[in-house]
Amino acid sequence: MRVVIVEDQVLLRAGLKRLFADGGHEVVASQDDASHLLATVAGDRPDLVVLDIRMPPTFTDEGARAAKAIKDAHPDVGVLMLSQHIETSHVVDLVRLGGFGYLLKDRVLAVQEFLAAADRVARGGSALDPEVIGQLVARPSADGPLAELSEREREILKLMAEGLTNTAIAKRLFVSERTVETHVRHVLSKLDIAQSEDGHRRVLAVLAHLSAARDQR
Amino acid sequence: MRPAVTLLWLLTVAVASAAAVFLVLGPGRPLPEDLFGGISGAAWLMLALAYATVGALIVSRLPGHGVGWVFTALGLLIALNGLSYSYATWGLYARGGDVPGLSAAVLGGLALPIAPLMALSLLLFPDGRLPSRRWRPVAVMSAVASLGFVVAAVLRPGPFDVPLDPVSNPLGVPGARAVMDALNGACWVLTCVALGLGVRALALRLRGARGGERQRLKWVLTVSTVVGAGTVVLMGSWFLWPENVQWRMALLGGLFIAFPLATGIAILRHRLYDIDVVINRALVYGTLTMLLGATYAAIALLLGVALGSGSAPATGAATLAVAVAFRPLRARLQDEVDRRLHRAGYDALHRVAAYLEEVRAGTAAPEGVERLLRDVLGDARLELRFLLPEGGGYVDVRGTPAVDAPSDAREQTPIERAGTRLGMVLHDPAAQERPDLLPRVVAAAGLAMEIARLRAELRRQLDEVAASRARIVAAGDAERQRIERNLHDGAQQRLVSIGLALRHAQHELGPEAAVRQTLEGALTEIGDAIGELRELARGLRPPQLDDGLAPALQELASRAAMPVAVDATAERFPDGVETAAYFVACEALTNATKHAHASRVSLSAQRRNGSLVICVADDGVGGAAPGNGTGLSGLRDRVGAHGGTLRIESERGAGTRLIAELPCGS
Repeated sequence: MRVVIVEDQVLLRAGLKRLFADGGHEVVASQDDASHLLATVAGDRPDLVVLDIRMPPTFTDEGARAAKAIKDAHPDVGVLMLSQHIETSHVVDLVRLGGFGYLLKDRVLAVQEFLAAADRVARGGSALDPEVIGQLVARPSADGPLAELSEREREILKLMAEGLTNTAIAKRLFVSERTVETHVRHVLSKLDIAQSEDGHRRVLAVLAHLSAARDQR
Repeated sequence: MRPAVTLLWLLTVAVASAAAVFLVLGPGRPLPEDLFGGISGAAWLMLALAYATVGALIVSRLPGHGVGWVFTALGLLIALNGLSYSYATWGLYARGGDVPGLSAAVLGGLALPIAPLMALSLLLFPDGRLPSRRWRPVAVMSAVASLGFVVAAVLRPGPFDVPLDPVSNPLGVPGARAVMDALNGACWVLTCVALGLGVRALALRLRGARGGERQRLKWVLTVSTVVGAGTVVLMGSWFLWPENVQWRMALLGGLFIAFPLATGIAILRHRLYDIDVVINRALVYGTLTMLLGATYAAIALLLGVALGSGSAPATGAATLAVAVAFRPLRARLQDEVDRRLHRAGYDALHRVAAYLEEVRAGTAAPEGVERLLRDVLGDARLELRFLLPEGGGYVDVRGTPAVDAPSDAREQTPIERAGTRLGMVLHDPAAQERPDLLPRVVAAAGLAMEIARLRAELRRQLDEVAASRARIVAAGDAERQRIERNLHDGAQQRLVSIGLALRHAQHELGPEAAVRQTLEGALTEIGDAIGELRELARGLRPPQLDDGLAPALQELASRAAMPVAVDATAERFPDGVETAAYFVACEALTNATKHAHASRVSLSAQRRNGSLVICVADDGVGGAAPGNGTGLSGLRDRVGAHGGTLRIESERGAGTRLIAELPCGS
């Protein structure tokens, strides 16, 4: 896949470039801030843009605004936003668009999972950091529907919310894909979520449910 | 200028001394119509000396002052008049006319325009200039009258008036006696008009004058009125009792002395209120002496009748009575005199006393002293400035720093109490009817001013403490934010870079290398280090606060050990206020977990009446005592630094509510 990297720290930018190269991907461009990013994307037609949320000049939300701009102009280009910490406010809108990922920066050290997430995003899927999901799923209230889920089912729910496919979940949990499918069916029916084969729509449904549950708490 | 006036004064004294010699020698027998002989002549010589002396003093202090020169001239003219009259009567009657220059002397004594010059001096008071150009005709009128008097006296033919009738005017124009008499009469009319207009000029000046100027004019106008009234009475009495002419003229001369004296004092003394004090004291002690004397006499007399006159007990009792009566009587008399003579001052001081009583009783604020001073002194622009100790500068009554030297023309009067400078009164001298009242009122209200100053000082120090506390907290927050940024953007990113480098090394080494395991271990360590750094940074200052209080509280709630219902406004507040609110919620949640054993917590942050109100309520065991544990006192400092309040409602068994109110403007 063709990747554009936007990261202001030289070492990290070099590391990311090497990471994608080592994984067999082509880094078509890398730059240290979000200026001219739209032109780069239009010119190089990458599959994925990896960018840091905090960048010069103000180090606040340049990355988030650039991500929004790319998704507006090129909905088919995947955007993977990296952050030093979880900033949910920037994520909520973008994740609905599909082809969007949001991960803590240190996730890059788990190379295989990171590249898998990048690949998913480039293909129009989603990738949400487990921290974000963790905040949504943590401590179910005693009477909520989440309380009816078993420990295993809750684990699978989190992975679904992260954007993983059944296959990826099976690989992650070292179980068979059929087992995963059964669990998924149970989870979705317990939570009263419509079954869907479309990975992204499933993520959205799960996230919507989790957000609603959280707001009720 | 000064030698000239000194010379004139010496001349006047010499002339008056010569006149006194001839006055003492006298005509040798009683004369008819002897207006300026004997006691009368002496009185008028005194008047001459008074005019000359006051005139010389005015000119030496205020060179070129019109009134000074007019007075100097008047003094010399009156002395010359006295000399000519006493010389003529002595020469004519004691020496039988056998003296040189008799008729010339009589003529010189008559041809003196004294009255018009008096009118001129009224016009020129108090600054030595005419009130305006419009008054020039009046001055000209005086000059014309003066000239007319001289001409009429010099050219009038025939014998002079009684008692100088044995002498005939050598310069008289034959047959012009009636004409000259008419001229003389016309000059008197002009002089009377000029005198009347002079008084009118004073009255007009009084209308436009304020403060000290007004005081002077009032004073001179009063004296002029008294002198005028006295003149009218004395002249009027002439028609009823034509006897004792000499005594009447003596009284008139004595009365006139009041005019140069009063005028001189008014011009030379800058402030006239000490004259009021003199009058005041004279009245009080005069009456006191009279009453005490009467008491003493009455007691001594009565007891003397009973015990025998001159007895020691009677004298002792009378003395004792007087001694006992002295203080209360003096106070009563002073009060009475103040009430009658200085109504305004009397009322002002009584209002100040009543106000101090209210301050003592706690029903009036000491800061109200400024308004009180404005009221009693009738000066709406009056302001108080307190001088704070230790170089605190000047503040107004509310304690706000004020410029110590205002640019307007207000006068500054220092306030002192027990030798300490408390501040100053800025006041408009022109606005005050009685400038002498100010120091007395200020002295009387000293206690209230001292309290007001102490309170201003206290307020300023409290403000300073609050401001410094806010600064300290803000500096701490800024530092936390800086460290948080550095952790995230520095150390954390660097660790990620190192991790990526290790991953690359792993990749390059290939799947078979034994060192892969070592690298894997190092990478796990790096991952843990990054996680720890993130936790550390979050404890310093949650990065979510950058996006607002609501996201930060949501994030906080999601990480809590028990369900937390968050109801937070999406509104943004000043940075420090949001941070303080966040830490309040943080501490309350920690307490709910650690001490209260709560199972549910509700967390709300809403704007209410210009404040951000944070309320954290749990369903735990309650009974939390405020003030124990550094967490809460630290919070109290943080909330207090923003002028907010923190309170805890925690009854045993009824859960705990922690409520913080943080003012955030409107």
